[in-house]
Amino acid sequence: MHIKDHPVLGKQLQEPVTIYFKDQPYQAYQQQTVAAALIANDIKKFGVSRKNIQDRGLFCSRGRCCSCYMTVNGEDHVRTCMTRVEEGMEIYPNLEDPEVRRDGNGD
Amino acid sequence: METDVLIIGAGPAGLAAALETASRGLAVILIDESSSLGGQLPQQTQLIRPLPSEYGPLRGFELAEKLINQLEDYPINYLLQHRVVGLYADGSVGVTDEENVFPVKAKKMIMATGAAERAVAFPKWTMPGIMTIGAAQTLINRDFVLPGNEAVIIGSSDFAMDVALQLMAVGVNVKGIVEEQPEVQASDNVKIEQVQQSGVPIYLNASIIEARGNGEVAEIDIEHTGTVLTEKVDLVCVDGGRSPILDLFYQLGCSFGYQEKLGGWIPQYNSNFQTDREDAFLAGNAAGITSQGAILLTGMVAGISVCEKLQAISHDEAQQIRGSLFKELEILEDKDIWESRIHHIERYANPKLKDQFIS
Repeated sequence: MHIKDHPVLGKQLQEPVTIYFKDQPYQAYQQQTVAAALIANDIKKFGVSRKNIQDRGLFCSRGRCCSCYMTVNGEDHVRTCMTRVEEGMEIYPNLEDPEVRRDGNGD
Repeated sequence: METDVLIIGAGPAGLAAALETASRGLAVILIDESSSLGGQLPQQTQLIRPLPSEYGPLRGFELAEKLINQLEDYPINYLLQHRVVGLYADGSVGVTDEENVFPVKAKKMIMATGAAERAVAFPKWTMPGIMTIGAAQTLINRDFVLPGNEAVIIGSSDFAMDVALQLMAVGVNVKGIVEEQPEVQASDNVKIEQVQQSGVPIYLNASIIEARGNGEVAEIDIEHTGTVLTEKVDLVCVDGGRSPILDLFYQLGCSFGYQEKLGGWIPQYNSNFQTDREDAFLAGNAAGITSQGAILLTGMVAGISVCEKLQAISHDEAQQIRGSLFKELEILEDKDIWESRIHHIERYANPKLKDQFIS
């Protein structure tokens, strides 16, 4: 849920944007991170761990733990807690290791 | 890119150091990984005190605004969403904007890399819905998102009490605070009382047996006085304290010393907040975990020392300012942290072994 009226900081969510998670549209607001916007829409599971296939979501929100990796606009392993939402952003869960050696990655 | 001073980290320590150096005419580049200035201050809605005399009691986000605004008149080169990723042979650092890497050659560096929250491990602690207490605070106060409706907090520090109150103020039902130790860790009795008066039970001598859920946390088992308490939750906040962020110091080959009270291994430094490298100074939580007021003071000391080395002020003036900053630090900082810091500085000046890497 978005906090529309914050008890100390007031009404901060002004400019809505639409983001897409697994091709479904969700409402977010400018200045929010991708991870936060998904949590506001009740999406907490962002992917799975590479070895033991355990569920993963936001953990540190500081860009250090890498638990919030997702695929954003075609780029794999994006730290969604450090990335702000943009209109029309396409987001997919991080379900496996990315293909490193491919055309788009310079090799 | 060349500059007099490269400051790494735009939190309170980096901003304080930037003011000291830029206001004395030095060219300053300020780098931060995130897209905004202030580090973790902008989401602190609680009153921060004590602060150095020129700042007075302010809420965290107000302090951030003040620190940022007082730099307005100086030509600081801000490199936001940039990271330092390594060191070149000639002493310049490699900086990336996540696409390209370029060298930055600085006469002096001030590393204000801050601290990271420590995790608290228990079975299934990595499940979605379980996050650090700082992450929960960031969600409510920076992103304006409710992280959950029913929460349990693990840990009872002053910071945990602050965030517990902030979570309740936005409508989260905090069902309990779990503390492993026999007493509450927070020292602010007013806040502890506020939390308790809100009807939040604090379980002492308690621990987590496990969390359960399918894709996200749904239940948590708390062991308390020999019985198991099961709470239905969709949010678990873990408060494991903080550790200094040291990656960069390792890359630069700085020496380290161990100080339990300052957060464990930290870079060695002298009373100028200079590491064992001629060109590298440090400030803030990277120099030992402490309170906000002390963080600002260490940033000021590092800034003054760099000004002295680059001859922007005289040695005598620097000594005088540093002396008064250290006096204020002694007053502001918790006694045991202050004593550990002095011990750390003295141990670096008088090593027990010659050519030691660690002491």
